[in-house]
Amino acid sequence: MQKSVISVDKLSKYYGPVLGIKDISFEVSEGEIFGFLGPNGAGKTTTIKILLDLLRPSNGVARILGKDVNKSSYEIRTQLGYLPGEFSAYAHLRMKDFFLLMSEIRKCSFPVDSDLIRDFDIRENDLQKKIKALSHGTLQKLGIIQALFHQPKLLILDEPTTGLDPLMKEVLYDLLIRERQKGTSIFFSSHNLDEVEKLCDRVAIIRRGEIVGLESLETLKNKAGQILEFRAGESCPEPALPGATLIRKQNNHFQYRLQGDVRQLMRRLVELPLSDVSISKPDLEDLFMQYYQDKNGFEDDI
Amino acid sequence: MTYSNLIWKMNRGFTLFSMLFISLFQLMILYLVTTFDTQAMLKSVLSQLPENLKLFLNDAFFNMLTFDGAAAFGFNHPIVLSLLAIVAISIPVRHVSREIENGNMEMMLSQPFRRKSLILKLWLSACLILGLIILTSFLASILSIQIFHELSWKVFFRILTIALNLWLLFILIMTFTLLIATLSKGGGFSGNLGAVITLLFYLLFFFGQLWKEMKFTLHINIFNYYMPQEIMMGQNGYWLDCTVLAGLILILLLLSLDRFEKRDIP
Repeated sequence: MQKSVISVDKLSKYYGPVLGIKDISFEVSEGEIFGFLGPNGAGKTTTIKILLDLLRPSNGVARILGKDVNKSSYEIRTQLGYLPGEFSAYAHLRMKDFFLLMSEIRKCSFPVDSDLIRDFDIRENDLQKKIKALSHGTLQKLGIIQALFHQPKLLILDEPTTGLDPLMKEVLYDLLIRERQKGTSIFFSSHNLDEVEKLCDRVAIIRRGEIVGLESLETLKNKAGQILEFRAGESCPEPALPGATLIRKQNNHFQYRLQGDVRQLMRRLVELPLSDVSISKPDLEDLFMQYYQDKNGFEDDI
Repeated sequence: MTYSNLIWKMNRGFTLFSMLFISLFQLMILYLVTTFDTQAMLKSVLSQLPENLKLFLNDAFFNMLTFDGAAAFGFNHPIVLSLLAIVAISIPVRHVSREIENGNMEMMLSQPFRRKSLILKLWLSACLILGLIILTSFLASILSIQIFHELSWKVFFRILTIALNLWLLFILIMTFTLLIATLSKGGGFSGNLGAVITLLFYLLFFFGQLWKEMKFTLHINIFNYYMPQEIMMGQNGYWLDCTVLAGLILILLLLSLDRFEKRDIP
């Protein structure tokens, strides 16, 4: 059985009467990339900040590397790398001085000719620049480097690709995959579904402060059934299909979710005046939308 | 680079300006007092004032017109006090409230950096910065007394005592602003509150000295525990003043450490 790196049990956080998160439970295993999905305001950052002991939970327990995040916060942070959602650093410092500050705090050296610096295409010129003069993308690179340079056992990344160009995103993806191969666990919060699909072994979907889905991507997809899409003729305004739930309708283009035996459905389909019929496995966006639709099929929160 | 270096780097501009300004101010006051017979000039003007106006000018004012009094006055002038108050208030506001607002605190506390250690290092750095300004001012006073008058050991120690007393007063102002900053969410709010409380204490002190009806407020006023003219005139009691200030500093510092340890960093 794989060792649990993050273990969260019935974690709740209220800001006065306002709910932040409620009864959240999940585990992240060693060497796993765990995706934490949800739109803005769903509770992703609140959960992360509790893990970092920046916020104190109203109820519940969170453990990292087997230690309570509140009681052993300092020890945990020595083995943890964190990239905040909106990375900020001392604007008046030069990039080089910022690295010196980080290495002083972490009591480890930071070679400016390291692979990380090369991978992210940071030049000597950038190192001499004040942080306030950096572009948004370079600032994000700085944030990623400070999270990674001390070779942490656990990486917590809150929307890490924000502000990165496509080339740098690929560099980051490669880096994260390499880190996973080395045994680093990665807790990855995002609302970019493509990158979660590309990188993550398991995902948790959070909605209004509660986890509504927690599976491996494959299991989630299997649970979600299949997606049927077609164009209907004029004489067929909204076809009723057995075992299928309408999830999207745009003019005469329909999208249904299929579950269970589809033989009866197929027989019905051939009777209808349809074109461009396709049945496919859902992608993560479809899955995500499924969790974000209410009982009437309407999307909320997004 | 250490965290203390960072604090120095971010505050050195205004610190150097304050050091220079206050030192030159001291030099100027002592130069004026030694060059002109200001005491005689002012006394002749003041003797023509109506009695009720004379009431506004207490003994401290006349003491100021002596050389020793003028040296003490340099440590008690509103401009000097204002500059020191700006430094004392701005450092905790900038490094606690503002950094919580702009996300730097989140980044720092996600590193292996204990909250208590951050507050203590910040407090010590702010004490050193205030100490540096006051030390420069002390050296400028000593130097100007040596140049324009005659420096004795008695005057040296009295000015040193005033400097220590002033340092403690502004460490206290810095520490209560630190407590406000550890409790509040916004930098603007904690800065304004720190400044308003300092100004209220100052005004209350002024009116408490002026009106008998308000004299009772002096016991709870921090400025009542800083008496440069009295120290310069050789009156006793400054050790008690220093003890009160140090006690308050300790209590407020412990409260700041406790509050910051327990608060959420949003």
